[in-house]
Amino acid sequence: MNQHTVKMRELARELLSSGQVSLVLGWEKGNLWYKSPPVFISRVEDVEKLIFDEFCHNNLAKYLMDLVHHSGKIAVFVKGCDSRAINRLLQDNQIKREKLYIIGVPCPGLKDPDDAVGKKQGAEVKNSAKCATCSYPNPVVYDALLWETVPVNTTKAPVEELIAKLDSMTPDERYAYWTEQFSRCIRCFACRNVCPACNCRECCFDQAEPDWLGKANNLSENQFMQMTRAMHVAGRCIECGECERVCPMNIPLMAINKKVARDIAELFGECAAGLDLEKRPPLGHFDLNDPEKFM
Amino acid sequence: MSIEAVKADKAASQENWEPKILVFACNWCTYAGADLAGLSRLQYPPNVRILRVPCSGRVNPQFVIRAFQKGIDGVLVAGCHPGDCHYATGNYFTRRRYLVMQRLLEFMGMDPARFQARWISGSEGPKFQQVVTQLTQDIKALGPNRKLRDME
Repeated sequence: MNQHTVKMRELARELLSSGQVSLVLGWEKGNLWYKSPPVFISRVEDVEKLIFDEFCHNNLAKYLMDLVHHSGKIAVFVKGCDSRAINRLLQDNQIKREKLYIIGVPCPGLKDPDDAVGKKQGAEVKNSAKCATCSYPNPVVYDALLWETVPVNTTKAPVEELIAKLDSMTPDERYAYWTEQFSRCIRCFACRNVCPACNCRECCFDQAEPDWLGKANNLSENQFMQMTRAMHVAGRCIECGECERVCPMNIPLMAINKKVARDIAELFGECAAGLDLEKRPPLGHFDLNDPEKFM
Repeated sequence: MSIEAVKADKAASQENWEPKILVFACNWCTYAGADLAGLSRLQYPPNVRILRVPCSGRVNPQFVIRAFQKGIDGVLVAGCHPGDCHYATGNYFTRRRYLVMQRLLEFMGMDPARFQARWISGSEGPKFQQVVTQLTQDIKALGPNRKLRDME
């Protein structure tokens, strides 16, 4: 058991036994050595389940959406990316800050569970793609920080290379590339369900009237869904990479999200989401001197 | 009809292809501008379908994608000039949203010329004529849109 896990359990035990919080959201060890699913702890004796290792991928902030009617205070462990998700939900008025006890866990970067499939425990596993370019491994909002902050990694991510490659293609080649990707989409909505920016009470994809998204299994509807989603999270995406991680068909969704975020930064100035609660999302306000292309 | 006749019919219809263009016109400026163009007897191509919206800010990104899905070859979103919005600020939001949308469409492999936005006021009948004529010419040059279509 590592030092991190010891610290997590200590704090969780203290918070639960003193009655400061009535629920703790953390990670536990799953059935497989490379899976660390979320765990919901309300009894002091259960804190022994808590762990922190290199497979704690799940963003626990999204689970707070299911707990908005929870009567007591909730303690939640957040990595850097998850803390931006907390800010996203706070800014969207989905959760209340006073009902949360946020425990920051600076994240050293996680391992890719897909790469661990079939390997023996302890085997060499490659790093998770979404952590490769993480600019915010350290939580940006917390009540307690469990251990020392970690240095920020500045290497160029594969997703940046993909965007550069796509930018250099002709429109038809790009269209062919995305056709290939989107034709695999099975519209399971895992990307939406895991996304902290997708927090509408009723999603337009679920609406029966108007029926924005058809039921037909075809490329056009897949494109509609993915493009609509890109626009809906534009300027609000916190770039946690969860959509791409949970996608069962391995569609490079972060290439779209990163590209949109970069366009927005180019057009309206740097505005990384989920960092500053006071700063409104870029498509939620405007500047009189915005670029004028439409005269 | 024989297969040859069907093929000949299809070829003929492709030859006589005319673009379908959808114009989202803001009720307060562009719709009045289009009205003025009509009242002034200004000729413009009949390829445009004008859809009146309360404000250019009403135009949801889904409207645009849905239009391409259902067979529109070009989309124009038109509203009041910045500063002139009937609702004070709607078109500023439109401006931000569609700058991003245009780049997204481009990234997805669409030709950005198929999606445009313009500011046309109620007194700019000739500008409406000119914008619509130019857009129709551009879309004609690009040919029918096959991308994002829900059926061929």
